[in-house]
Amino acid sequence: MPREELEIEIDPSGKVTARTIGVKGPRCLDLADFLAKIVGREQSRELTGEYYEEAEHAREHIDVKQRW
Amino acid sequence: MSTVIVLTPIIIANWPVITAVVAAAVGTMGFSAVQTTETQKIAGTETTREEIEVDNSDILQNAEGRGEQIVVEREGLRATFSRDTRGTLRVCMEGRGHSKAELRRIGRELVDRVTQQYVYHRVITELKERKMHVVSEEVAEDRTVKIHVRNW
Repeated sequence: MPREELEIEIDPSGKVTARTIGVKGPRCLDLADFLAKIVGREQSRELTGEYYEEAEHAREHIDVKQRW
Repeated sequence: MSTVIVLTPIIIANWPVITAVVAAAVGTMGFSAVQTTETQKIAGTETTREEIEVDNSDILQNAEGRGEQIVVEREGLRATFSRDTRGTLRVCMEGRGHSKAELRRIGRELVDRVTQQYVYHRVITELKERKMHVVSEEVAEDRTVKIHVRNW
């Protein structure tokens, strides 16, 4: 089972801010979608370093394969 | 970090869930649930009333379609939570010696606490279903609840 880790803050009005930890690539979007489904309306979403790090890694992999 | 997401809560629940959430949440403000027969004494000519609608709510009708009301009180203040015909959660604030603005402020705070309690209950329940467990949990001075969860 892939590792999933989250930090969740529920402010006094019920607004939720959640950060995925160490979940790289599109899998972190699954976790964010899961939370959005159970809490309510999405106000904002920001993709940070690790998401692009994984995407970059995948792109490099494709480039190497294409050279062959 | 991979993703930061900010979500505005929507309360979607049946009446028994709302009853449990209201009972748990309002206690932190000194309110407690009362039986309907006990609610007569607060009513009077000097009573001020204020209605508050919880915009982001959708309360599912129970099978009987009745009994969808919970009354909580604190020192001459009464808050009646109910489901209107459209399924929206409403709070009617009543009290002697309080202005409408004051009743609205207290009512909004009650609604916030109920919403926070609902979100907490829903998040924890659904995370357990996903086999995630709470590593740590704390309540900050401003009442923000901070939860750290993982599945390993």
